[in-house]
Amino acid sequence: MKAMPRSILHLDLDAFFCAVEETRDPTLRGKAFAVGGQPGERGVVASCSYAARAFGVRSAMPMSRALRLCPELIVVSGRHRAYREMSEKVMTTLRDLTPLVEQISIDEAFLDLSDLRDPIERVARQLQAGIRDDLGLSSSIGIAANKLTAKIATEVGKKAAEKGQPPFALTIVPPGEEAAFLAPLPADMLWGVGPKTMARLNEVGIHTIGDIARRPESDLVTRFGENGRDLWRHANGMDDRPIVTERETKSISQEITFSRDVSDDQSLEKTLREMSAEVARQLRKTDLAGKTVKLKLRWPDFTTLTRQATLAQPTDQEQEIASTASALLKSVRRSGQAVRLIGVGVSSLGAPVRQLSLWDDGGEKSRKLQEAVDALQEKYGSDTIHKGTR
Amino acid sequence: MKITVLQENLARGLGIVSRAVSPRSTLPVLANILIATDEGRLRLSATNLEMGITCWIPARIDTDGSTTVPSRTFSDLVNTLPGDQVQLTLDTKTQNLNVRSGASNNDIKCIDAQEFPPLPTPDMAGAIQLNVADFKEMIHQVVFSASTDDARPVLMGVLMNVEKDKVLMAAADGFRLSVRKAVLSSAAAHPVNAIIPSRALSELARVAGDGEEVVSMVVPKGRGQVIFRVKDVELVSQLIDGTFPDYQQIIPRGYKSRTLVSTASLLKACKQAEIFAREGSNVARLDIKSANGGSGEVEISATSEETGKNETIVEATVDGSGVLIAFNVKFLREALEVIKTPNVALETSAANAPGVVRPVGDEDFLHVIMPMHLG
Repeated sequence: MKAMPRSILHLDLDAFFCAVEETRDPTLRGKAFAVGGQPGERGVVASCSYAARAFGVRSAMPMSRALRLCPELIVVSGRHRAYREMSEKVMTTLRDLTPLVEQISIDEAFLDLSDLRDPIERVARQLQAGIRDDLGLSSSIGIAANKLTAKIATEVGKKAAEKGQPPFALTIVPPGEEAAFLAPLPADMLWGVGPKTMARLNEVGIHTIGDIARRPESDLVTRFGENGRDLWRHANGMDDRPIVTERETKSISQEITFSRDVSDDQSLEKTLREMSAEVARQLRKTDLAGKTVKLKLRWPDFTTLTRQATLAQPTDQEQEIASTASALLKSVRRSGQAVRLIGVGVSSLGAPVRQLSLWDDGGEKSRKLQEAVDALQEKYGSDTIHKGTR
Repeated sequence: MKITVLQENLARGLGIVSRAVSPRSTLPVLANILIATDEGRLRLSATNLEMGITCWIPARIDTDGSTTVPSRTFSDLVNTLPGDQVQLTLDTKTQNLNVRSGASNNDIKCIDAQEFPPLPTPDMAGAIQLNVADFKEMIHQVVFSASTDDARPVLMGVLMNVEKDKVLMAAADGFRLSVRKAVLSSAAAHPVNAIIPSRALSELARVAGDGEEVVSMVVPKGRGQVIFRVKDVELVSQLIDGTFPDYQQIIPRGYKSRTLVSTASLLKACKQAEIFAREGSNVARLDIKSANGGSGEVEISATSEETGKNETIVEATVDGSGVLIAFNVKFLREALEVIKTPNVALETSAANAPGVVRPVGDEDFLHVIMPMHLG
């Protein structure tokens, strides 16, 4: 059973603060201006218009230097409340499209659009146009099978755009072409490659992402330790980090859209068990336990339903989550019924407080076993040890 | 059937038996109350097949007879009847019961008494005799510890053990255990070892009345039933099949710290903590601090993400080392509520070991609570 390749959309608002200022004062449009602290106050550039960028002005640059590069630069004081409000509006627009939105900063977000019916390019174009027409903001989008490639695609699109005006770029990397897309790009476009790492890479003749990808993985691990492994995987366009929907954790969940609808009971049970294990592991890792177990199902006709059950006590244990989810599944699905998407989540989160039992019903024992398994996986990797199936 | 009863007696009788009615049963007659003339009195019976309650009330009988009356309709009506006297006349053919009192005249559609499940006619010879007030106290001290989760039916019952003149009741829901002992005024003829549904005992305590009356109890051999009789009320209950867990093994044999406190002060502190604890997992922390010379204190605290937090300090005599232990404060409060002595002892050994609550100066009751693990 293979998961369908994901469609991850990365959206970045173009010169966001400046764009908001332009909606307030249209006379700024097309002019070289920057949002930030006044030069006398040793301010820096928080955001600069594309006209200013043509003069070499960049964000985080001291305002005094920006003025030397571009003497007619208009300096506008930041109004962060207005930016936050506008950002909220953008995020609401995104959430109208899918609940799977991960906001990573005031002007950037990832969306998981794996399960939309319409062609992704049309969806992206409509989204860009909507944000421009409704909110007066330009944005650039990158689409790929994972977060890493999608974000880099956005950057590539922006760089390729015509100078002096908002890029309004859309760059799509088709599934399977991640590595080829990344290969010619400079190595420091990868996450985690700063000037220091870049210098060390240059020393051994690595300049592009492709140079990294062509090296043996072991070579990079020898040089950079665990980071080397990530570097190699990322350079090869591999990144399976999921979309994390809420910053403040209110629920922990997993879901999978099958590449082909699944109607086999045992396969679904197995998937449910694996996802429950992952959810339980995340709960334990974040030192949380939840009282509500939720099952999400999508039938082949795209109708979606969720069912939830409340436990007597908060849990962070795979077995309990899996058996509750399995009971929920049995309550809504008849044997053999095809399923397009299945998901498991745990909410009503709190500290993992639990009532101890007068006589051990095996719960404490399996909890201790779980702790040992967690410790082994933490130390030697998740493939080291697994629970056997009976 | 034609009889006359006092409204007051009828209302009281219906109040007693209606608790055994099962209004949503697939068997319609179980939503009804059997009324039957019985040797110069009127017998009222209701059953849900697990528990049956019968009550006899005085009546003037003109003609004998019986029928079953819908419980809700009959009880609601009788409670509002204007006159002292209520005349009940059954038309056997139509099973219409005419209920007449003062200016009120009613006809209720009944179901033939033949359809009502037969209730046992017990032989009360050799019954165990228990004082009502004592028995009620015993019941109150254990029933709250019984489980309400039907996953383990045995734990929904109370273990009752009678051996000569010694009687013992125990209940446990997996997290806490209540054990109460007593001595009978006269030794029982046969030993009894039965698991009685806690619901039946709660009902018995409710209907048994007060005072110096006596409860008679029999467990007829091989029937899987227990029968209680108090004055003019009889309660029959099915016993729960199975083996009660070995509760003696659960009771800790020693302790590292024994904390003596005023029962009322600790109860009050628990009630306050519960106001906050109930928003979350019901956890209250007890920080038991020992000091030289035995004087010490217990700091009870509870925190809720939403509502805030509470902290109460109760003076205590702490014998042994201090300990920080967390309990489900509802469990602790319920245990303290059934303790009659002015002082109570809390025996603890570790944060993850069972705590024992004992009334000071009363060896007959003890309560074991498992702590909560704070993660």
